[in-house]
Amino acid sequence: MIVAGCDVGSLTAKAVIMNGSILGYAVIKAKSKPEESAAEVMNKALEKAGLKMEDISYCVGTGYGRSKIPFVNLTMSEIACHGKGAQWIMPSVRTVIDIGGQDCKAMRLDKDGNILKFSTNDKCAAGTGRFLEVMAKLLGVSLDELGTISENAKDPLSLSSTCTVWVQAEVIHHLNSKKPVEDIAAAINRAMAIRVGILAKQVSAEKDICMSGGVAKNKGVVSHLEKVLGVKIKKLKYDPQIVGAIGAAIIAGEKAKGGKMS
Amino acid sequence: MMNEWKEIANTMGNTYLRKWKESGRAAVGYPCTYVPDEVIYAADILPYRLRGTGTTSSSIGDTYFGPVICSFPKCVLQLAGEGRFNFLDGTIIVPGCDSMRRLDECWRKAADDYKGILPGFFHYFGVPHKVTDYSLMWFYEETLKLKEKLEKHFGVTITDKALKGAISVYNESRKLLMQLDKLRVKDEPVINGEDALSIILASTAIPRDEFNKMLRKTLSQLETKKETIKGKKRLMLVGSINDDPEFMKVIEDCGAVIVTDTMCFGSRSYSDLTEEEGDPLFALAKRYLNHAYCPRMFGYYKPRLKNIMDRAKEAKVDGIILQNIRFCDLHGSENGIFERDLEKEGIPCMRMEREYGPLTESGRVKMRIDAFLERIS
Repeated sequence: MIVAGCDVGSLTAKAVIMNGSILGYAVIKAKSKPEESAAEVMNKALEKAGLKMEDISYCVGTGYGRSKIPFVNLTMSEIACHGKGAQWIMPSVRTVIDIGGQDCKAMRLDKDGNILKFSTNDKCAAGTGRFLEVMAKLLGVSLDELGTISENAKDPLSLSSTCTVWVQAEVIHHLNSKKPVEDIAAAINRAMAIRVGILAKQVSAEKDICMSGGVAKNKGVVSHLEKVLGVKIKKLKYDPQIVGAIGAAIIAGEKAKGGKMS
Repeated sequence: MMNEWKEIANTMGNTYLRKWKESGRAAVGYPCTYVPDEVIYAADILPYRLRGTGTTSSSIGDTYFGPVICSFPKCVLQLAGEGRFNFLDGTIIVPGCDSMRRLDECWRKAADDYKGILPGFFHYFGVPHKVTDYSLMWFYEETLKLKEKLEKHFGVTITDKALKGAISVYNESRKLLMQLDKLRVKDEPVINGEDALSIILASTAIPRDEFNKMLRKTLSQLETKKETIKGKKRLMLVGSINDDPEFMKVIEDCGAVIVTDTMCFGSRSYSDLTEEEGDPLFALAKRYLNHAYCPRMFGYYKPRLKNIMDRAKEAKVDGIILQNIRFCDLHGSENGIFERDLEKEGIPCMRMEREYGPLTESGRVKMRIDAFLERIS
């Protein structure tokens, strides 16, 4: 049975087509209207899988724009989807840390990928992908570079705040003081890791721990987070950005089998 | 009938208040459940609980308060600065918490810049944080001082007879609200949390005898109501002040019904009765000081936890939302301990931080509630 998951987030939209395994997936930059993002990303994923919309038996929508996706049978919160998705990719996972464009969350799971506990950040860009975007722009590097250059820091600096607005002033001060960009990048990634580490501690994170969402691609944040938590973060074998969409597709498969098609 | 409750809950100058003022009588505002409304009511003055709903900007609130302060007193000051509380003849400020206590200085300071916003009667009413023999005596004297100040300023005499009458009206009101609770906790409730909150809000904005009359009528309608609420997750709401029925609606629209709470615009305001025998002023001091359901009271964590567990059990809740307004140190820190202890007892909990004021973050709230409901289903 062919099922799909469509995750429309604040900065990107993701779709995954599955039939026990992944047949195709796509990631696009979100448009201003969630329904347009959903249609485009779904068409791209279908194209990669060589399928048509009619071939999909059941589709689950998730993400910030989930209620606006016209073609889904069911919507689920991204928290449930990230849990399911991560557990499908790596059955030993018990904690997922998801850092998206606009929020970040930590989830503790049972062995079936169901949520036991979750915590999310509160109405603030600190600890989100947006924070890193703003900082990368300030340093004049790409998002990918922000992760890699911090690995070369010789004397990592500290930031006293994780507030996106206040920290800009601190970063500008460091730049004006001619501090090496690598050392500032390390400070930014560390600040991010501390912020996210608090969420992980709030859910009593257990091993194995993995990360999902776009920020999981930032090596600097990942290595600092490992230091904060004192454990190694397991790398998922799929693009961390599509974990939520995979989870949505897994739930779609479960629902379809249960004959709960609407 | 529900529409009338909603109208009162959502309108600052409700019809009852207008009529009261038109009859030449005064109204006095207060921001917290630690003010004995009965003393005000006994002076034939309308006690009116201050709320900050209806703010569209925080420019005045932000000017006088610091940045790391709860948004509730900021919103109250905002409305005060805009002159929207000018119908009040007096205001009583209480050290409900540190943020609320600052309302005294900030309101006074703002009055230098916004003329006419400081009512003629502006009184700071102290409330101890511990319950002891000597703090009760101190609080009794503070209550007596409040009575004497009201008498002097408004040219009235508050007799023991009037105080006893007010105690009786307020006790009756509390008993009626407890009856409303019974209809909320039924296996198939006949009223949701959003509507129940509108009724509770009205209790603080109209004369209590009128409120009692209205509530008796509503209760008899609800008791025979055929249409019940089925198939929803039963939630309990705990934590910082909420006087926004829309916030309840966002939660309930996710597929839940809020069947009980321990909120100050909620069960906390009616869960204890005042003794009707003996010195009425002392009875009031005893009732209000021993009212330890707010984390402002020191040394009462265990009774507060027990109160939550008892209410959760009675209402057969599926989960508890432990929410606090950002920078609310009292509820914010206690919610963490509640979560640990309640989850240990097998009661699923979700913590949430939010802002007081215009509900602009409903998407975020909805996402969390959805995820919590998925977790407990």
